[in-house]
Amino acid sequence: MSDLEAETKALSSRVVETAKLKINLEATIALGGLALGWQILALLTPDFVIPGWEVIFRHILQLKPSWIVLTTLRVFVAIMFSFVVGFSAAILLDTSPRLQRYVDPLLNVVMAVPVICWILFAVLWFRGVEFRIFFVLFVVCCPVFLVDMLNGMKGIPTDWKEMVHSLRPKKLQYFQKLTLPAVLPAALTSWKVNLSLAIRVVTIAELVGATSGIGYGLVVAQGQFSIADIFAWTLVLVAILLLTQFCISYLENRFLSWRDIA
Amino acid sequence: MNDSRSETSTISTDDCAAIQVCRLKKTFARRSDGQTIVSIECLDLIVPSGEVLFIVGPTGCGKSTLLSLLSGLESPTSGEVIIAGQKPDIRHDHLNGILGIIFQQDRLLPWRTALQNVAIGLEIAGVTKARRVELAQKWLYKLGLKGFENSYPRELSGGMRQRVAMARTFALEPKILLGDEVFSQLDKITSQKLGADFHLFAREQKMTVILVTHQLEEAIQFGDRVVVMGNYAKVLLDVSIQGFKNKNEANALCEQIENVMRQEDTPVSR
Repeated sequence: MSDLEAETKALSSRVVETAKLKINLEATIALGGLALGWQILALLTPDFVIPGWEVIFRHILQLKPSWIVLTTLRVFVAIMFSFVVGFSAAILLDTSPRLQRYVDPLLNVVMAVPVICWILFAVLWFRGVEFRIFFVLFVVCCPVFLVDMLNGMKGIPTDWKEMVHSLRPKKLQYFQKLTLPAVLPAALTSWKVNLSLAIRVVTIAELVGATSGIGYGLVVAQGQFSIADIFAWTLVLVAILLLTQFCISYLENRFLSWRDIA
Repeated sequence: MNDSRSETSTISTDDCAAIQVCRLKKTFARRSDGQTIVSIECLDLIVPSGEVLFIVGPTGCGKSTLLSLLSGLESPTSGEVIIAGQKPDIRHDHLNGILGIIFQQDRLLPWRTALQNVAIGLEIAGVTKARRVELAQKWLYKLGLKGFENSYPRELSGGMRQRVAMARTFALEPKILLGDEVFSQLDKITSQKLGADFHLFAREQKMTVILVTHQLEEAIQFGDRVVVMGNYAKVLLDVSIQGFKNKNEANALCEQIENVMRQEDTPVSR
């Protein structure tokens, strides 16, 4: 590599680092401003309306950790299963346009049903709490995965398909060398969307049809008129969501770094 | 109509011929109205082992369709294509490492580095990792890309990308090489330099080569034989140019080919 190229690469990496620093600084200022504004409001109002940070954190320490773990597990088990089923169905539909013509209208109907209706159906149809929640999460997330993965597969350029076919791969090799890496960006975006969706859905599902988990914790807090507990649970939910989004972003940086190279 | 999906060839096998095409017909149904479009009417072609054949002809005459059929990406409507004794559309994996294709566009996978792009065919062929890296590096170096092994396609110029695409095919060391207007996307100087490298390596490897081109000069300079095609891939002229060194002879042939092409109507659907 020439000196000029090495210099250009070093310069561009410095530009990227500076941009990251700027974004982090801006994010810190924005979140810091929100926290400060909240604290000022808390000082001006009674604790049962807007509790201060000190009160909220004291209540966070009193939350049941097992319920946090349980809600997180419910989300991950259901979302993982939804992804496997959705991706497998997308592969099947991609190979059979005729089957897709049958499935498309059914998908549209399933996706048009509001989440709250699925929760009510689950409460009426199933006895087991875990199965109710799993069912609701699956029926909400699986179609989203299916549609996203199918679109990802359909978006693979014909040029790439022909090129890989010309190398005469076996079906599994074709999937490994082309389909999987080509749909990875769509898969990660779909995970981001579905994780955010699933955390909100699981909370409502637990709120209506469970006796454990963060959603149920919110019901209990409401029953006790404990606004500090509600804020504490909300903060935990936000933290779980941000943590999972951070993990997906890490995977994006790790596996999709080629997209940032100009 | 012959059953083109049958694995048994109905044409006699010529041991010296790398490629045999017999009474080949290819039609397509137009999506908009379902009308049948004839791309190749009835083509017979034999390419002996080690020959460098150039196919020229007007746009839309069926040259690229012929290459798709030869590479096995499409199946004939009727007639037969035999490559190294195999039907390329049926015995797909049997031609692994025998048949290589270089496309008009580089078709590099953006998530793979230059080295990984070159190695993809070797991965599919089951070559060990150490050997893959060795072969991929060898061909990248031969094509002047030393130092760019870890560059992604977006970091490379059009000429460099096409060199990577060439390395991807050459690394497989195929016996038969097909190319569809390989350098048409590049500027004249880059195209000439790449063309010279391409033909040098193809001759070194003693490959049988079929190249579709619009560059008559390139065909006459590097080819053993030129086939001029008209509408529906009808062979208008089939001329051997081995030993053509005289510039006047070459110019006369160029003129003859251009006249033949001019006389041919533009293709219409049937």
